[in-house]
Amino acid sequence: MQFKQILLLAILCANVFFAGAQTQSSSISGSLRSNLGEPVHSATIKLQNTSYGAVSDQNGQFTINNVKPGNYIVLIKAIGFNDHKTEIKLAAGQNLKLSIKVTENVEQMETVNVLGRTVAQETNRQAFNVTAIDAKKLYNSTLDISGALDRVAGIRVRESGGVGSNFNLSLNGFSGNHVKYFIDGIPMDNFGTSFQINNIPINIADRIEVYKGVVPMWLGSDALGGAINIVTGDRYRNYIDVSYSYGSFNTHRSVLNAAATSKNGLTVQLNAFQNYSDNDYKVKVEASDIYTGAFAPAALLRRFNDKYHNETVIANVGVVDKSYADKLLIGFTAGKNYKEIQTGARMIQVFGAWHRKGTILMPTLKYKKTNLIPGLDVTVNANYNLGTEQNIDTVNARYDWFGNSKPTGTNSGERSRSMYKYKNNNGLATAMFNYKINERQSVALSNVFNTFNRKGSDELNPTNNDYETTKKNTKNVLGLGYNYDVKDRWSTTVFGKYISQNNTIGNSANASSLTTKFGYGTAATYFLNRNLQLKASYELTNRMPDAQEIFGDVENQEGNPSLKPEKSNNINLGAGYSFSFNKVNNFSINANAIYRHADNFIYNRLNANQSKLVADNRDGVRTWGGDAEIRYSYKNWLTAGSTITYQFLRNLQMYEPGYTSVSPLYKDQMPNIPYFFGNTDVSVTLKDVARKGNTLNIGYNLLYVHAFWLYWPSLGSRAAGDEKRVVPQQFSHDMNFVYSMAGGRYNIGVEAKNITNAFLYDNFSLQKPGRGFYLNLRYFINKTTK
Amino acid sequence: MKTKFTKAFVALAFAAVFASCSKSNDSEAVANDPGNYILAVTPVASTGVADYLLTASDLEKGTVSILGNGIEQDGTYRYYVTANNKFFSMLYGQGNPGAVTTYNITNGKLTKLSNFASETVQAFAPVNDDILMLKIPRAITNPLANYYRVNTNSMLIAGEGTINTQTILNNGETAFFSWIKQVGTKVYAPFFSIKACCGAAFGTANPDNAWIAVYSYPDMKFEKVITDNRTSFIGRYFTDGLAVVENGDTYAFSSSVATSNGTILNSTKPSSITRLKAGVTEFDQTYLYNVETKSNGYVITNWTYVGGNNFVANVSKKADKGAYVVGNELAIINVVDQSFKLVTGLPIPAEITNITSNNYSPKDGKTAYYGLNLKNGTSYVYKIDASNATATQGVKVEGGALTAIQNIK
Repeated sequence: MQFKQILLLAILCANVFFAGAQTQSSSISGSLRSNLGEPVHSATIKLQNTSYGAVSDQNGQFTINNVKPGNYIVLIKAIGFNDHKTEIKLAAGQNLKLSIKVTENVEQMETVNVLGRTVAQETNRQAFNVTAIDAKKLYNSTLDISGALDRVAGIRVRESGGVGSNFNLSLNGFSGNHVKYFIDGIPMDNFGTSFQINNIPINIADRIEVYKGVVPMWLGSDALGGAINIVTGDRYRNYIDVSYSYGSFNTHRSVLNAAATSKNGLTVQLNAFQNYSDNDYKVKVEASDIYTGAFAPAALLRRFNDKYHNETVIANVGVVDKSYADKLLIGFTAGKNYKEIQTGARMIQVFGAWHRKGTILMPTLKYKKTNLIPGLDVTVNANYNLGTEQNIDTVNARYDWFGNSKPTGTNSGERSRSMYKYKNNNGLATAMFNYKINERQSVALSNVFNTFNRKGSDELNPTNNDYETTKKNTKNVLGLGYNYDVKDRWSTTVFGKYISQNNTIGNSANASSLTTKFGYGTAATYFLNRNLQLKASYELTNRMPDAQEIFGDVENQEGNPSLKPEKSNNINLGAGYSFSFNKVNNFSINANAIYRHADNFIYNRLNANQSKLVADNRDGVRTWGGDAEIRYSYKNWLTAGSTITYQFLRNLQMYEPGYTSVSPLYKDQMPNIPYFFGNTDVSVTLKDVARKGNTLNIGYNLLYVHAFWLYWPSLGSRAAGDEKRVVPQQFSHDMNFVYSMAGGRYNIGVEAKNITNAFLYDNFSLQKPGRGFYLNLRYFINKTTK
Repeated sequence: MKTKFTKAFVALAFAAVFASCSKSNDSEAVANDPGNYILAVTPVASTGVADYLLTASDLEKGTVSILGNGIEQDGTYRYYVTANNKFFSMLYGQGNPGAVTTYNITNGKLTKLSNFASETVQAFAPVNDDILMLKIPRAITNPLANYYRVNTNSMLIAGEGTINTQTILNNGETAFFSWIKQVGTKVYAPFFSIKACCGAAFGTANPDNAWIAVYSYPDMKFEKVITDNRTSFIGRYFTDGLAVVENGDTYAFSSSVATSNGTILNSTKPSSITRLKAGVTEFDQTYLYNVETKSNGYVITNWTYVGGNNFVANVSKKADKGAYVVGNELAIINVVDQSFKLVTGLPIPAEITNITSNNYSPKDGKTAYYGLNLKNGTSYVYKIDASNATATQGVKVEGGALTAIQNIK
């Protein structure tokens, strides 16, 4: 038996290698439709007994390139459909077109989630502890990416205010830079402030994948606690999707996404978006008069220096579906943002004119080819950000919450007089090779290289020596992985990552230092039956301090050049189960347990003046916790779901600097981290409202975050009058109504956020917007035929 | 179907288990100790809390702890002053706004009265019914210091204005006030001359003089500068170098810690104590207490007046002298007798991390309470008895390091 397998493997390998030598290859393309005439997506199309294969896209289209001429059996498998086989004969150089109908399998449909397994859910079936958000379901909302992420189990997005405010995402107890962001697998580290998850509208994404803990090797980076990958996808070859919303606090948002692709594969893609808000919502604040010091402990006042706007255009030109490239795109991302800064780390510090600006000017290259030689997929990406950031603090005055200002009489600025303008000069190149040895085995090799070289100057302080010192950093992450996959039965992967980082801090001869780290991990999943999936993964992961942590961001992050790399052992266990009952009630349940043990844990603490954050190491932090999600749907008009997350982060630093005895805070809970939170949503879809083909969708979302202490929980009195700083419990209720006409071509949405007008805080004393109403208009048209 | 539900519940239960555990606190809790003494304690592993304020009924015995007790004080640095039976907690924000938080004590418990943002100030002291605060420039491009008068009854800013720090000496440097003191009806502001520029911010080319600027109050009009060339400058950065004794005479100490560039000491004068007779705005040239010779090799780095011409002084060996070195030994100095006695009963200097600089004395001529933070992580209040130069261990403080000891009624 084993001999046969080895022989088979050898034959398959031979086939693969020999196929590479073929001179004239052929291709197969086609479309898949159901017996009802609807496109069938996410189906696998395989040439039986070969490694050739493809997955159908949203429109049911598929292409298999570089096929050796000959006779084949095309095998099509799609969830909810009967398997389908067709014999074909492929001549040399031929481009065979197929049009295939598959029939629905009623029996299968009953056992699987009635809503169909979209690509997003397919992602959830990986061995990694991963959650995918199907962004398309949120297109008629005014959410940005971070808002969508906030509804995922295990994730808490903490914002310091309204539109464009600083955010910090916490994922299973890790937060800040422990979590890395990617867009289509490309690290977003160097995108600057103009292109971040708090200003990218949800409509840019096709889906968002959240990897908790163990990060797949092909996302080649040194994340410690997880990764978020925004998949923009190539949803349609020809489409226009445009939306505009207007709402409370003078908030305007627009998004335009469009693509045009010619018959011969020339394509132009355009994404443009804009956010604008005055963020002039009322806050309850401890105010005092700047002239007299008169104390108003609970004044209700409007924010007055918090305007934010950003505008970004992403354009890509290139070719698709060529013999040398599935996708070869040259692009340019251009954007800018403007942000007024209302407060410091606390609301007691109020600013009236301080602001910052930033731009992103980034040429990009994207190349992707599957089956470059049969079985080998290649992806190459490169970009370089030429954008600048500027910090503008030129008004020599102090402000109070009433909007009064008092000149300081000196050249002090509000915080520190500055017009510092700088470029981070960061570049990125990634290459990814995936080779499918056979039906079940594949190996992958990836390499990611980043550079950072900050240069800046301040026209107001031209002599400041700090600007002249070298701030350089290069990082390379090399990964190798092996994957063994038995479709719908089990799947496992092992991988290793080698990270090297070179920092140059300052101008001295020994300012350069090289650090290298090796990490590894494994992930496995097993399907007990079709509907019950078990997952387990482990990783020893390393993360280098990043450039912002070492050098600061010139605004709110102070640099810490002596930061050490952090390391963590991450273990995840998960189970997913779906079932239905009475054929109309469908449930799916996911539960995950996590364990993290991090050494030299990097966390942000307030600096010596509480004016900025500074990254620092803590000897050890241990986290355990779990999250669970349950979803329910009734027929095809009611869906409801809940997520719940609990995580307990414990300080394992036994000795504090300057003390020789065991710290009283050893084993205390880490402060200022939300540890218990959840979400509930209910949505109802009414078909044929007012007119046939028009649907009305009514949704409700509840967010809950348990109160947590700002500082060490065990220190200080918790008595009512003793003011132990707490970030209070939050309940936020949101509702939305979306009316779609002409099969989704025209959409009108109305959203009400924070309906009860609760005082919401993610960070101590930094209040978020009160009740707001938003109107959203969206137009979408898509030409499906090629 | 039933089994499927069971499985679902198992999965949910598995999640719920996580939500039900918490830290088991194995250390025995120390109870709150209501009283009129206030202890400011900087916690270990600070996350942005300057201090926790504890009350205590007795400084000479027992234990107080910030584990479960104490009122959080925002900011990394806080400084404290009492006036008019109120306790003022001043946030030091460096270039950023500071804040003044005011408390009183009722039934042994601190009650917050007010909190307002202010400038970060480098010197503050009670003057008449006010707290006078000074924001002092340290850049040669900025000659103006700001002063603020906070009324201790209304807790409002009663007045403010500016002082030119470059026209006091007109020596091309800027005057940096070490502290301020009400002497009679005037405000005395001893200062050191600093370059305030170019890599030598706190350096000076004038290390061998003592100066006190005299201002009227409340209009803070500059009246004169009192000069002495027998010592280096009076006081130190953020340190009160003046004390007024019962007969109205003012005593001043100099650590002799002027530097050429912020670190290299450049004064030729010995650490000394000098005097200004009551009502005379000149140094008394007949009086010079050379601390270095009288103590056989010590310099004075700070002091607390306990009444009866007796001071408890922080002292360090001359060899260890530095611009920011605070002595880990205590001595009793009688400024009239010009005596110097090292205090016995304290842990040896090698075991001491630091000694608090903000200390309480009932001004009974002999008693002061000092905080000692030891290298093994423990902190104690020590009662210092100036009459026999002894120290006795008092209340133990858990959870952090003592920074200030105060008392209000």
